[in-house]
Order: sequence, then structure tokens, then C-alpha cells
Amino acid sequence: MRDVAVIGLGMHPWGKFKDKSVGDLCRVAVDQALADAGVAWREIEGVAAASSRFSGGRGWGLNGNDVVDDLGNTGVPVYNLSAGCAAGGNAFNVGWSMVASGIHDVMLVVGGEKMPKGFIQTSGVEEVTDPEYLRQVCVGMPGPAFWGAMCRRRMAKHGTTEEQLARIAVKAHANSVHNEWARFRKEFTLEQVLGSAMVSYPLRLFEICPVSDGAAAVVICSADIARANSRRPVWVAGSAVATARFDDGIPRGLAGPVPAHGEAYHSEAALAVEKAMAMAGVNPPEVDFMELQDNTVFYELSFPEEWGFCKPGEAEGLMEAGETTPTGSMPINPSGGFQSFGEATTAQGIWQVCELVTQLRGDGGGRQVPGAGVGLAQALGLGGNGSAVVMRSEL
Amino acid sequence: MPQATPVVEGLFTDTANGPRLTGSRCAGCDMPYLPVSALCHNPDCDAPDLQPAEFGPWGVIWSLARQDYPPPAPVKFDEPYQAYAMAVVDLDDGLRVLGRVATDDPESVDVGQRVELIIDTLAHDEDGKELSTWKFRVVEQGAGA
Repeated sequence: MRDVAVIGLGMHPWGKFKDKSVGDLCRVAVDQALADAGVAWREIEGVAAASSRFSGGRGWGLNGNDVVDDLGNTGVPVYNLSAGCAAGGNAFNVGWSMVASGIHDVMLVVGGEKMPKGFIQTSGVEEVTDPEYLRQVCVGMPGPAFWGAMCRRRMAKHGTTEEQLARIAVKAHANSVHNEWARFRKEFTLEQVLGSAMVSYPLRLFEICPVSDGAAAVVICSADIARANSRRPVWVAGSAVATARFDDGIPRGLAGPVPAHGEAYHSEAALAVEKAMAMAGVNPPEVDFMELQDNTVFYELSFPEEWGFCKPGEAEGLMEAGETTPTGSMPINPSGGFQSFGEATTAQGIWQVCELVTQLRGDGGGRQVPGAGVGLAQALGLGGNGSAVVMRSEL
Repeated sequence: MPQATPVVEGLFTDTANGPRLTGSRCAGCDMPYLPVSALCHNPDCDAPDLQPAEFGPWGVIWSLARQDYPPPAPVKFDEPYQAYAMAVVDLDDGLRVLGRVATDDPESVDVGQRVELIIDTLAHDEDGKELSTWKFRVVEQGAGA
């Protein structure tokens, strides 16, 4: 396998843009990424794109083909990857795999999305063979209630308080003020978060990410090309995808077996993170910061524990001591996270890579993690899809 | 009184011994399935067939959630909307299953409480016909997680 570098990044800011198409958003991100990389569109040898259910793609998830049509058809191969909200992460993994294995030398990885209003409805398939449909019709557990149940278990086990949950949102928004790409660039007080509407106890409106429009793109290439052409390469130390294990206890459908361990954890995320970290040859103490998928503040507590960054029940204390801020010992989501961006689902995994590159280049400004040399990003999607990437500032 | 119609057929039944969920169990590894499954999905099991199985009625609340806002379709509820509780229940016979909690006081429901499976009204359809589903009723206070 060859070493792979990210040499260019581009983003359209996250928000709601009723007068722009998803193609408009992607074009901004791709043009920036090409310019940042110093690479012409004709030099791109392959496109890995996240397939969207919500916008573009002609109903078939052909979002990469939309981008190629827009930039100009060069005959370039397109790989459209579908993995729910992990699609951006999966597309990055496929792009990395193809450059690392020598099939292509320079690739574009892109994801963009315009989301419909409201919380994401689950599968959208209305038939009794679909477990998500059964779950909604017979019980009625939309996404926020699922997160509520996961969080409620933690409260019972570790005594997590509503105030601690709110403090995570306050931390996220304090970071977002320094991020020009974030949708909500505004500080929130503890009182404002605790005063927001209860969505599914114990989770409040300002503790759950809304949906957004946005697009992100990166240019990746082989080490030889990066060294010859790029002033500012950032290196992919490990990239992995995984799917969920049979026995992880997460109530994804209507029912499953009670696992031997009794608890529930997102095995697809843990497996991807473990694989990416093993490939990079790093352990938690060597990771300087992480961008994790905080659809809800709860995940800032559970994920670091599930990945071995701290012991079960320690995450609240670390957060309260400020260790998860950019200047702490375990910085989480210096970007401001999904809390500050909202979720343009299939663009998220690529936006996370953009944040890793920004931090590892030292371009984080007011949200910079001091001396950041190794970063981890993780995405999670419907269907039990997980992705992770570890990046380094130096090989 | 018109007869209540199951919101989805084939998932639960009222037996001589009381309400049960109706699914399958693997003859090889004992893995429980709801709804009925034709094959075992345990990657470590290659047993050829599954047997019909009934689950319930006893279990413990592993965790729960409250639906504080009217949820989007296809979730069913009667107007005026009232927040409901739903639980992830670990049944004594090895199935971790979701279900609403039958209670007028969602705030009283907690992790670790012992529950019993019941069949109860879910909502009414546009013709006023009663739709039923399985729910859980708290029978004993618990000891937490």
C-alpha cells in the first residue's frame, strides 16, 4: 500500500439555502478543493462520492455523476457510495483505498446534501418487511427517542445529569464561534440550553443536531505527487469502514437478542475506529483530538469510552474539567461538531476530514488544538455503517 | 364494542396464558427473532431451521424514552396528542424488544422496573376503528441499571 495525502479541501458553509441546489453547494466545495490542491479538474483520475437519499443523484444516488456533469465530462470513473449518514466516510475510505493500492494517483472525494425539513424520518419504506417501519408503526420511536433511550441508560448507570448534557452543547457552540463553515456560530449559555424544548427526555432541542444543507470535498493523491506538488499535505495514517456486529445490543429494529454483555454499544463505530487506529499504529493517548458524530451530546460521553479513550463513567468528569475543549487533554469536536453544523447527512464524513486537515495544518484559528499532530474522525450511518479515519500532520 | 385490529398482523397474540409476542427461535443456537424469521442470522450458527416461538410476558426495562413531541408519520396516535413512554425491555426469555409503556404517568417509568406484556389500544384509524399493539405495564419497582 502507498502512503496517501490530502492536498486540498473545500466546503460550502452549512446552513439552509433555499435558493441554491445541491449542485451549487458541491460546485463551491469542489472548486475550493481543487484550488487548494493546485490540481486541475482534468487531472482528477477518479471521483468517490457519497450517495444521498434526499437530494440530487437522480433517485439512484448518482451524486458523483451529478458533480462530473457539472465540472465537465472527462470520462473519469465515478464511485457512488451509499452508507446512510456514514456515506461521506465510506466514500473517503474508497478513495483512499484506490490511491493507496495504486489504481488511481489523484482523486476527488465529495459529498453534498440539501435536507428536507424536520427530524430525519427513518427508512421511508412503508411495508411490514421493513424493520424500521414496524418499529415506527407498532411502537413509535423516532431517532431522537432512540438517542433518548441510549442516554437514559447512561443516566441510570453513571448518574449523568441534565446539566452535564447541556454543558456539552455549550462547549460545542463555544468552538463553533471560531468556525466560518458552521451553521450556528453563536455561544449558548447553560440556561439557554436547559431552557430549550424537551424533545425526548432527557434530550433537549439544543442537545440534538438539526438537519442542514452543506457540501464538502477533498483532493487526495499518492505520496510522490503530494511531495512534488503540494505545499501542505496532510497524511492518511489509517482509514476503515465496518458494519455492526450481530450481538452489540443496539435496538436497531423491533427486537434482537439480549447480548451477553447486557449493554449496548455502536459496534460499527468501534470496529471502524479500532481498525483505523491499528492501521495508523496509534493508541488513544497519541490521538491529539477527535471529530466524532455527535447527533446528540450523549455520544460525546459514550464514544470516547467505547473506543478506550477513557474508562466507563469517566467522560462526564473529563468534560466538566474542560479536557474535551481544544486546549484540554482529550479535545472532542473542535469544529463545533454536528451540534453546530447540523447534519447534511452524506457530507458529514468528508467535512470531518476537512476539519482534520485544517487542524493538522494549524489553520484552526480560535479553535486550534495546540500542536495537533494526530486526529481521528468517525461517522455512523443507518444500516449499521461505521467509518473512521486517522490523519497525521507528518508521516 | 367493535373488535380491535392489530396494527400489524402476526407480531402478537392473546393465548390461553395471556399475551405473547410471536416470532421464531433458532433450534441450533437458541437465538430469538421478532418478527418471524425464516433463517438464523447469527454469523456463528449454521443451523438449518427456525421454530415458531412465543415471547413474554415478563421482562425488565433496560432503558426508556419519552416522546415529548407529536412524532412524524408513520407513527400512530390519537388527538389530542399526549406524550408517551416507550421502553427497551429485556424479556426473561432472551429477547430485547421495544414497546410502549401503558401508563398515565410517563415520568414514573424507570430503568430496572419489572414489566408485563399486555395488548392495548395504540390509536384509532380514520374510520374510528381501534388499532391494537403490544405494550408493557410496570408491575414492580426496580433497582436501576
